[in-house]
Amino acid sequence: MLAVQDVHKSFGDFKAVNGATLQVEKGRIVAVIGPNGAGKTTLFNLICGQLSPDKGRIIFDGQDITALPPHKVCRRGVARSFQIANIFPRLTVFKNVQVSVLSQHQKSGVLFKPADQLLIDETEKILDRVGLLDKAQVIAGSLSHGDLRILEIAIALGGSPRLLVLDEPTAGMSPDETKRTMGLVKDLSQKEGLTILFCEHDMDIVFNVAHSIMVMHHGRTLIQSSPEEVRKNKEVQEAYLGAEDA
Amino acid sequence: MILFIVTSGLSFVLGILRVPNIAHGSLYMIGAFCAYTFNKLFGGGTMGFLAALLLAPLVVALVSLIAERALFCRLYEREHLMLLLFTFALMLILDDLVKMIWGADYRSVMAPEFLRGSVNLFGSSFPRYNLFLLVVGPLVAVALWLFTNKTKMGKIARAAAVDREMVGAVGINVSWVFAFAFVLGCYLAGLGGALVAPTISITLGMDHDIVIEAFLIVTIGGLGNMAGAMVGSLIFGITQSFGVLFWPQFAIVFPYLAVVIILIIRPTGLLKSVW
Amino acid sequence: MKKIEFKITLILIALLSLIPLVLPRFYIYITATIFVTALLAMSLNLVVGHGGLYQFHHGVFYGVGAYVTALLILKAGMPFWAAFILAPIASTVTGFLIGWFCVRLSKLYYGMLQISLGSLIWAIAFRWYSLTGGDDGLHGVTIPDLISSTRNAYYFTFIVLLASLWILYAILRSPFGTTLQALRDNPERCEAIGINVRRHQLAAVVIATFFAGVAGALFVVIEQSVFPDLLFWVLSLEVFIMCLLGGWFTFAGPILGAAIMVSLRTFVGTYTEYWTLVLGIILILLIFFLPEGVMGFFLERLGKPRSRQNGNDKAGASVGSR
Repeated sequence: MLAVQDVHKSFGDFKAVNGATLQVEKGRIVAVIGPNGAGKTTLFNLICGQLSPDKGRIIFDGQDITALPPHKVCRRGVARSFQIANIFPRLTVFKNVQVSVLSQHQKSGVLFKPADQLLIDETEKILDRVGLLDKAQVIAGSLSHGDLRILEIAIALGGSPRLLVLDEPTAGMSPDETKRTMGLVKDLSQKEGLTILFCEHDMDIVFNVAHSIMVMHHGRTLIQSSPEEVRKNKEVQEAYLGAEDA
Repeated sequence: MILFIVTSGLSFVLGILRVPNIAHGSLYMIGAFCAYTFNKLFGGGTMGFLAALLLAPLVVALVSLIAERALFCRLYEREHLMLLLFTFALMLILDDLVKMIWGADYRSVMAPEFLRGSVNLFGSSFPRYNLFLLVVGPLVAVALWLFTNKTKMGKIARAAAVDREMVGAVGINVSWVFAFAFVLGCYLAGLGGALVAPTISITLGMDHDIVIEAFLIVTIGGLGNMAGAMVGSLIFGITQSFGVLFWPQFAIVFPYLAVVIILIIRPTGLLKSVW
Repeated sequence: MKKIEFKITLILIALLSLIPLVLPRFYIYITATIFVTALLAMSLNLVVGHGGLYQFHHGVFYGVGAYVTALLILKAGMPFWAAFILAPIASTVTGFLIGWFCVRLSKLYYGMLQISLGSLIWAIAFRWYSLTGGDDGLHGVTIPDLISSTRNAYYFTFIVLLASLWILYAILRSPFGTTLQALRDNPERCEAIGINVRRHQLAAVVIATFFAGVAGALFVVIEQSVFPDLLFWVLSLEVFIMCLLGGWFTFAGPILGAAIMVSLRTFVGTYTEYWTLVLGIILILLIFFLPEGVMGFFLERLGKPRSRQNGNDKAGASVGSR
């Protein structure tokens, strides 16, 4: 479904991404791992359009999305959550997700119908699925950290994506919250066949959940393979020497 | 040149505190009015002129220091817009204070003997005072450059402009750095006002005019960039003279038009902004 | 709208309708001025408080609306009603042009460019004596008898204000409005969920400038003249303050802000000529003690949660994050 072909991105002299390749097949969960600074977030920015690559191509569902701006990438069916909680702090939880749903249905420009009569069911369904329905009228800015990260994902889901890109979805979460979130990710994949790409630092999660793992180091792809292959790979072990229990 | 001096002060504050000081024009105005008063106090002539030049900017700096320490510094942690609105409030207050102290009539100051009249230069007559400004302007520019690049204080100020948290973490009292930067910028405004005093009639509306011009110059020059302030001032001055030559009725439109064109082509200014 | 808000609004409307019957002419005039200013402030707040844009020179569109109205009537001999319709259109076109350039930039740059473009228009109007009367402005604009008396001008302005507010309210509650507020909170995230940020912002600007133009036309109805001050940046900043004063995250805050400002200016003005000083002090008090504005403050007291992000002022009270 998604093919990243040898992309490069430099900021001045700094080569953030230096030859990254990735394959994500439909309906699978793929994880990208690598030590800090390996270029994972930059890679995600490249895929989703926040940045455009200096070299290389990105193909989604047979179409070249390499240099598209973020809103067009989203329209093609790719939704993303961010590493740092990137929500709408002054809006309620409900509205946070509703905005996304409205956008998906191309209704953001509707001027004369009250928003709270539109697409309520769909928004509530998403909130229910992530477990935030009871907090629907809470102002998003006052949520706990764990809930914020879940709201992140909920907003991404509002776009009914075919590919969900999650940037460190469990960052800063307690063990319970982590379990809940990864349970959600597994559900989305198994029950709805959603294709998921994520990156993480927590190795337990990655090896438990992912069907395929891509390892990055210094902006390059070292290997992409099944969890067992990756675990055995010498280069990966070297890159991660001592860092596996991070 | 006066535009440059005033604008450099604005640019300096903008670069380090990241706040466009709307009250900058009012401080300039205070500088001019103070120059008038000091000039009179010291009996006019050369003595009065020099006293004004020396003391007026200091008064302005003092006023700005008071404003900064009493109120402004408490806002550093807040949203930028609040700082900007504060400078607007400051402008309103200072404007009326000037009205209270000096009244609504306009004043004028005479340049000292040795700077009056004009000189024959390359076949056309050139006002002596303008020559004087042409010397002072670059002097100020050089002094500023030396300060920001060669002195410790200057370097700290530049570092604070880029990353105030780091500077704070290194143990430097960022608040004082900001205070200093603000006062310096305002000093320059006062200096500009004192220098401009002999050339125009000193009125209550002069702050509104200069502030918008300084803002536009800073914008086309690059926010916080001193060299940009110089370039911008030159462009502004030249286009204005151009306008006077070709279409006097709309002379003031020319610099605005130039600004608009520049901003459309390069919205972030001709030179790089400090941040 | 909740029931109680609806009731309060109805009562207010009823009370305001009665004013010309009970108060002397001067007060009717002041209230009408408040209506016009309120409309202007509301139009600004659409893009500032709800849209997060640094609309620093909104006054330009107001001034254009007023000047076009006056010019069409005085110089082109058009009937008032034609001018009244064309003027806001002129403002909207100006808004679209200026806005198109400005939305390509963010934050402070947006504001600076707008001040530049607006000042250009001011400079032209200021100097084009033969057309615009330059410093003196234009006077003696003929208004149809139907609405020329103070009382009738009041009702006319009131009706137009109510209609405009109704439309603005509908817009803010619509998906467009919700998306606009999301844009204010986080434009980057909006992009990531498929919203064309620039187009949306430009649309908001166009709507806002339309209503600013309407306000400008109403100004001419009340004053029968125009001045270049309407196009000057100081006025724009004052309108900005009205939004802040009233509460820019609330719907009706700017109306309150406008009311307070105009009333204060009028009444303080009778006691002292140092109104500007008073305004400056009020503004400082606002900044320090009431950053959510008067209405925001009261709404919070009454238990409606305006977002307070665990005491973190930066995230909570920001009009667009850094």
